[in-house]
Amino acid sequence: MFNRFQFLFQTNISRESQMRAAINQKLIEMGERERLKELLRAKLIECGWRDQLKALCKEVIKEKGIENVTVEDLVAGVTPKGRALVPDSVKKELLQRIRAFLAQHST
Amino acid sequence: RLTSQGLRRLRCSVEFLCRPLKQPTWKIQYQSVLRFTTSLPDFIAEIQRDSDAGSVMSPAGCSHVNGFKVDNWKQNLRVIYQCFVWSGSVETRKRKAKSCVCHLCGAHLNRLHSCLHCVFFGCFSKKHIHDHAKNKRHNLAIDLLYGGIYCFVCQDYIYDKDMEQIAKEEQRKAWKLQGRSPPSLMHNVVQLRLGLINLGNTCFMNCIVQALTHTPLLRDFFLSDRHKCEMQSSSCLVCEMSQLFQEFYSGHRSPHIPFRLLHLVWTHARHLAGYEQQDAHEFLIAALDVLHRHCKDDNGKKANNPNHCSCIIDQIFTGGLQSDVTCQVCHGVSTTIDPFWDISLDLPGSSTPFWPLSPGSDGSVVNGDGHPSGATTLTDCLRRFTRPEHLGSSAKIKCSGCHSYQESTKQLTMKRLPIVACFHLKRFEHSAKLRRKITTYVSFPLELDMTPFMASSKESRMNGQYQQPVDSLNNENKYSLFAVVNHQGTLESGHYTTFIRQHKDQWFKCDDAIITKASIKDVLDSEGSTHKRTQ
Repeated sequence: MFNRFQFLFQTNISRESQMRAAINQKLIEMGERERLKELLRAKLIECGWRDQLKALCKEVIKEKGIENVTVEDLVAGVTPKGRALVPDSVKKELLQRIRAFLAQHST
Repeated sequence: RLTSQGLRRLRCSVEFLCRPLKQPTWKIQYQSVLRFTTSLPDFIAEIQRDSDAGSVMSPAGCSHVNGFKVDNWKQNLRVIYQCFVWSGSVETRKRKAKSCVCHLCGAHLNRLHSCLHCVFFGCFSKKHIHDHAKNKRHNLAIDLLYGGIYCFVCQDYIYDKDMEQIAKEEQRKAWKLQGRSPPSLMHNVVQLRLGLINLGNTCFMNCIVQALTHTPLLRDFFLSDRHKCEMQSSSCLVCEMSQLFQEFYSGHRSPHIPFRLLHLVWTHARHLAGYEQQDAHEFLIAALDVLHRHCKDDNGKKANNPNHCSCIIDQIFTGGLQSDVTCQVCHGVSTTIDPFWDISLDLPGSSTPFWPLSPGSDGSVVNGDGHPSGATTLTDCLRRFTRPEHLGSSAKIKCSGCHSYQESTKQLTMKRLPIVACFHLKRFEHSAKLRRKITTYVSFPLELDMTPFMASSKESRMNGQYQQPVDSLNNENKYSLFAVVNHQGTLESGHYTTFIRQHKDQWFKCDDAIITKASIKDVLDSEGSTHKRTQ
């Protein structure tokens, strides 16, 4: 019983990642991924998220020292907070865009 | 009294002269601005060093790219950018969609990287690309999202000028294919054209602010957030300047309204308060004074000792003026050195005597430029400033050698040159009898060598030799003009504007909120009341 459940669980995971891969492929093929990236970039600047991240980066740099800090330090130090700081409205809008796109191009 | 030429030249200009560092600091990219060290003198020295040699952030990249840069590497790199990073066409996008997945875990996100030495895609987050790099000793990988080149030996992204060039070109090509115009590179471009709204005769302040914000070292200091404020209230002028700099370089295009700055200066320099016509030079000195008072030196001590301050204002603007008083009887010399922020020069036509020091400067001969060929030059004014002056029998000095009062001569020379030198031509004459503006045209050069006016050059000058320095390779005393402040009009009503240099030879005219392009000729034709040069 336990094994079967696990098996089902695993299949769903792999199907989910398959679906992700398929969606991503479509997005890239149609050039939509690039457009979404641009849209997201503009939105994040507009709402001040980029400035917040800049401040976070500066903190990491001050902590580690400008001579030693690497991109990895910045990524590690900033990513969790950065993700949390994205406003819900931006997330919603992007999701809507992706849904609309998929609806248009569903195979 | 006013000839047509005189009318044309009825403008004073204030020039700001800066000594160029070995390579001009305005060439330093924004990345370098973050390179601050713990002590301020080191910071300045480091900018000088960075300008010469390569540094970690230099565009020469790391040495490990050399193994990659062989054979047809440029074309190979282009193909990688075209196919896997900036996929512009339908075919490349299809290929990217299909093949760009991590070879180890199948992930297509997770910061996917492509190995530069073989066909391998690995994700960064799960370190699959790292494993590949270690196993195969392939040291370079490229980030498929942003195109950055990662070196596993340096363990960081590196910036190689040639590779960056290729990346940019391919990115542009891809954008073109997709019908997109490249977004403005706001994080790279330094927007130097921000107008300042005139709040009612505040042009005297606007012109100085424009010049200060375009002072390279000051800009680098404020943009790298070096000021650590100790003042409790929001009345710190340094903080306000810092915000002003951030605003100037933020890429905003709409003019800035400097009401906070004005309020702070009123608060801290009471004699300037009020909407009367004010003098730009007075404002410069007052502003520098308040900034100096509000700065801490880098060791955390309050900068209240004028002789030992190491705040950024002193580092940049303070020079040392040597005054030698020579007793005419025993020829003993008494020397003092005083700090200065500006060099105020008398002009011909003022009530203090001025003799022409360049041949034929009686103003009668006009050359093709419309200037008298014997026009007074800035150098003339400097020569006059540093000439030995007999103090006269009514101003005898107590000589320590003779132990009595004797006649003496006094001479001023430059002991220590500031990085930014401000020359002020005293056009506004306020004496007991009259108040007037001196409109004599003074020509000034784009490059100025201060060597003849140094204390160390005194001996050759005392022999009456005003030679050009033999060693023209020595740039220590050479200055390069970067800002000119003009005053148009009369003493009672006039207007200030500023010419600012950006990059090596691009000039702009700042007239409060209106910024226009200007030619070098416009700049040199203007009169000068304050000059700022950077070394």
